[in-house]
Amino acid sequence: MTRALELVVSGVSLGGIYALLAFAFSLTISTTRILNVAHGVLFVWGGAVFVIFSQKLGLHPVLSIVLLSVVFFLFAVAFERGIVRPLLGRSAHRLLVGSIMATFGLGLSMESTLGYAWVTYVDPYPVFSSSLAMFPVTLGTVALSGSRLVILGFVLVTVTAFHLFLQKTFLGKAARAMAQSFDGFLVIGLNPYRLSLILFTLAIIATAISGAFYVLAVPLNPYDGLPLTLKAFTVVVLAGVGNLPATLVAGAVLGIAEVSTSQFLGTIWAPAVSLTVLFLVLVVKPTGLFGKGLQ
Amino acid sequence: MIALIGVLVLALLPLVLSSTFVLVMFLSFVWLVLTANYDVLDGFLGQINLGQGAFFGLGAYVVTILLNVGTVQTLGRFAVVLATLVALAVTALFAAVMAFPLFRLRGFYFAIGTLILIFLLQVFALNLTALTGGAYGAYVPPAFFMNALVGYYLALGLAVLSLALNYYLARSTLGLAFRCIKGDEDAARSLGLDPMKYKITALVIASVPSAAAGVLFALNSGFIDPGIALGVERSLLPSLMALLGGTGVVLGPVFGTAIVRIIETVVFHYLRLPVPSMLFFGITLLVVALFIPEGLLKSPRITRVKLFGKLASY
Repeated sequence: MTRALELVVSGVSLGGIYALLAFAFSLTISTTRILNVAHGVLFVWGGAVFVIFSQKLGLHPVLSIVLLSVVFFLFAVAFERGIVRPLLGRSAHRLLVGSIMATFGLGLSMESTLGYAWVTYVDPYPVFSSSLAMFPVTLGTVALSGSRLVILGFVLVTVTAFHLFLQKTFLGKAARAMAQSFDGFLVIGLNPYRLSLILFTLAIIATAISGAFYVLAVPLNPYDGLPLTLKAFTVVVLAGVGNLPATLVAGAVLGIAEVSTSQFLGTIWAPAVSLTVLFLVLVVKPTGLFGKGLQ
Repeated sequence: MIALIGVLVLALLPLVLSSTFVLVMFLSFVWLVLTANYDVLDGFLGQINLGQGAFFGLGAYVVTILLNVGTVQTLGRFAVVLATLVALAVTALFAAVMAFPLFRLRGFYFAIGTLILIFLLQVFALNLTALTGGAYGAYVPPAFFMNALVGYYLALGLAVLSLALNYYLARSTLGLAFRCIKGDEDAARSLGLDPMKYKITALVIASVPSAAAGVLFALNSGFIDPGIALGVERSLLPSLMALLGGTGVVLGPVFGTAIVRIIETVVFHYLRLPVPSMLFFGITLLVVALFIPEGLLKSPRITRVKLFGKLASY
């Protein structure tokens, strides 16, 4: 029973991070139709930059997060101006090819740069994790990892913030309108470039901060980025684009499945779980388990 | 005519090349096969297959595993033929089976689905250590090593065959059906074309030469591991080269492959720049996707030159 609860907590906190990753991912796909293959790589970069700030430079964790947000804000603006904007005006097929190829290229070059630079300049052992002390929290007889609870708290706060943003603010409503119909969005006189800038900035900063929280509990390797994009994609396909509650459930399901696989079959098989889950979902119900699916 | 002269020149090249360059050319032909096969789906069907390397890796692994089986080894020279045929059949079957779940997806969902395929095979190659040797890789028994020159001509032949396949697609009713589905899938269905049938056909015919390239690679190098046979660049480079050369043009893959391989050889073998190769390829892909999305052989600036215009019309 105790073991089961521990598995659920670590699975849900892991899954919560996946859900967050997936949600930022689907927010940008559903509105701009741009698939950012580099998404997971940005997450890994977020973790790496956080470790550099908080450990190698010895800054306070909160200050590190603030600096991290500034760095990724600048990156997000460059990303939107340099890659997203030139693609937005293209026809559907060109947009598809262009967005996949450009972000795939960006992701691979960022990934290899990080891998190379980390080994050369930071640490010959290319795995980074945060060594911030997190004490186990005991609830009755159950001992829970403190860092996992922090992650869980972060996920809940961010998801609530995203939810309020989409439901209550004008920009959130505009984003939902853009996802419904791009042409309709133009017809009512809204500016798609401004919105795509805001959405990509939000998504990229949220992703980078998620990476920073992730390394509190799980070490990352510079080459984990693309597999993480695939995990985010798995959650998106499971949940349906833009469906926030379902994304949370799907993320948790994937997290628990991975943690149990590591526990019972060995960690080497954990990466296969999300891939197999995705394949099975595609075979059984290609429109996703929850929600209406994509198009 | 131009094509004939090109092939003839390539066939005579080993007479003057050093053994290093025979190997460089061999690898270029292998890449050309993958690129041409990638273009079957991208250029003709409008589907982005980021898992082209999966077929290459599968072919390489099946042939290596089979040649390490005792009973197969007793067949002597015939063993290679048998192992190759089995590897091609397994890959074709794999492509046909995988086509069903994959083509339930459209657009970028298909692209990501195929990327998942190669990662999944990687996980299996890494973890089924008894069969594949895991991260340490697998060796082809030395008795079955392929002579470098034989490898060169077989790879050249395979590349010509792959281009001939694309040439056929550019002119046949089968290719016309592909292009029709690329243009508008629903309209194609209303004409009585079954998109699923054509997509499966395309994936299978695009998988077999790639698997054969994997077989040649394994027999030529004698060693494969998950990074070499199923690494991300096996999938990235074909799409980069096809995109650079121009998709849907028969000679596009030749252009793309030649340019990337020449730059790669100069940058990494002569200058030995201390840059990770994926950084270089990644940035190239980014630049190509943003600035020459139509590819060189379809860009009006290039085809205005008479020679290139003629090459593009093949």
